[in-house]
Amino acid sequence: MKFAVYWGCLIPTIQYGYEMSVRAVMPQLGLELVELNNVSCCGNPIQSINMFAALYLAARNLAIAEKKGLDDLLLPCNGCYLSLSEAKHFLSQDDKLKERVNNLLREENLRYEGSIKIWHTINLLHDIVKEERIREAVKDQLNGLKLAVHYGCHILRPSTLRPVDDSENPKKMDELVEWLGAKSIPYPEKLDCCGYMLLLSHPDAALTFTGLKLKAVQDWDADALVVSCPSCQMMFDMRQKSSGATTGAKISLPVLYYTQLLGLAMGISSERLGLNLNRSPINELLQKAGLISAAPPHS
Amino acid sequence: MLIKAIAAIPYSMSIIDLTTTKKPDLALRLKILAKIGEHKPYNCFQCIRCTSGCPSMKMLELKPHEIVSLASLGFIEELITSGIVWTCATCLKCKERCPQAVAPVDLIFALRNLAVEKEAKVPESFLHSLSAILENGFIQKPQDTVTRKMEKVNREKLDLPKFHEPDEKFKAAFFKVLELSQE
Repeated sequence: MKFAVYWGCLIPTIQYGYEMSVRAVMPQLGLELVELNNVSCCGNPIQSINMFAALYLAARNLAIAEKKGLDDLLLPCNGCYLSLSEAKHFLSQDDKLKERVNNLLREENLRYEGSIKIWHTINLLHDIVKEERIREAVKDQLNGLKLAVHYGCHILRPSTLRPVDDSENPKKMDELVEWLGAKSIPYPEKLDCCGYMLLLSHPDAALTFTGLKLKAVQDWDADALVVSCPSCQMMFDMRQKSSGATTGAKISLPVLYYTQLLGLAMGISSERLGLNLNRSPINELLQKAGLISAAPPHS
Repeated sequence: MLIKAIAAIPYSMSIIDLTTTKKPDLALRLKILAKIGEHKPYNCFQCIRCTSGCPSMKMLELKPHEIVSLASLGFIEELITSGIVWTCATCLKCKERCPQAVAPVDLIFALRNLAVEKEAKVPESFLHSLSAILENGFIQKPQDTVTRKMEKVNREKLDLPKFHEPDEKFKAAFFKVLELSQE
């Protein structure tokens, strides 16, 4: 099965672990990824500045994907998923707006039709690849691991845009984790925001969002936090130390992408999954999972 | 008497202090209403579900219901100059949970856009994203990074395919979009 893939800004410029793990696991699950040329930012980062320009960027990327002639488009980033699903929604509701956008797209010989279906990593793996194929691909069962999942706001809300899962009671990522043999723990802070979008204007508040959630997950005795959004990873993993300093909490919690976790269970080397790029203490998780020996020589 | 008592309720200093000295601006109110589609703020009956679930309320005293109410009354200038609209983390819970389909977060985006248009208080770093997109097509170029063992790596070292920015035609077209949307 062929999918066009749109990586967005953060994944191909800094969150290499997500790109590497998606590239490593998808072909082994029977999904061929087709690259898009000449794409740009999805528009989400400039929604606060100019909503119309943001919509134009989203429509432009969709138009490029449609030109490939494929039916489906994978968006591994939550922000891109929201931006493109909002654009699809607005343009399907308003013919005048669609015409206005298409007039502008003509400059680059593009036309937005609205024909392509969009997927995020989580619903693609859950709804298309499905349980059986994932269970079959697992070589090392992650038995005994207690994991907390974090969906990220922008693939869950609003429910009017057909999000990836139920807006208030999502289950898909929990199930994806359980199919690998691990346990997904229930915890009341599951829907709490990572704070990333406040980083530009209120960095201390943003890091407090991050620190409070990490502290909660740690207190619920999770072995790791599993994410599926590059912005959330930028906070929970990359800024884990500063979030601890901001909230006055001692935090040491492995944080990784679901595709990295899946790759580990499929027997793919942690290097190919980009796990050596995660800042959080991933080795602790690998030891608990029995994937490396208890005392690594150079840690 | 009653009016005096209401005015004395100390909620959201930054906004209410200004509103007591000014009149609603109905032209700006219409401008904002035109930007937010079907999610009209005047449908709000102040149930405060949005504010009770707002993570920025705990941290930064953002009260979405108050923003909805002030916008509905036409106190737009006060909202865009107060800086309060930049405290939203865009978690979208308010939009999801509003029983009246008001979508406070969309209103906040519309107010931020207007703040930019009117050159009111805008955090500089937000504008930086736009200039980066104009320059590179994305918010940043691929960055060098390090592994946990402090080895310096980049896309090439990680065996990732070459990263391409959009071509010059994109920049020209996008520039035109920005110009048109200011009209």
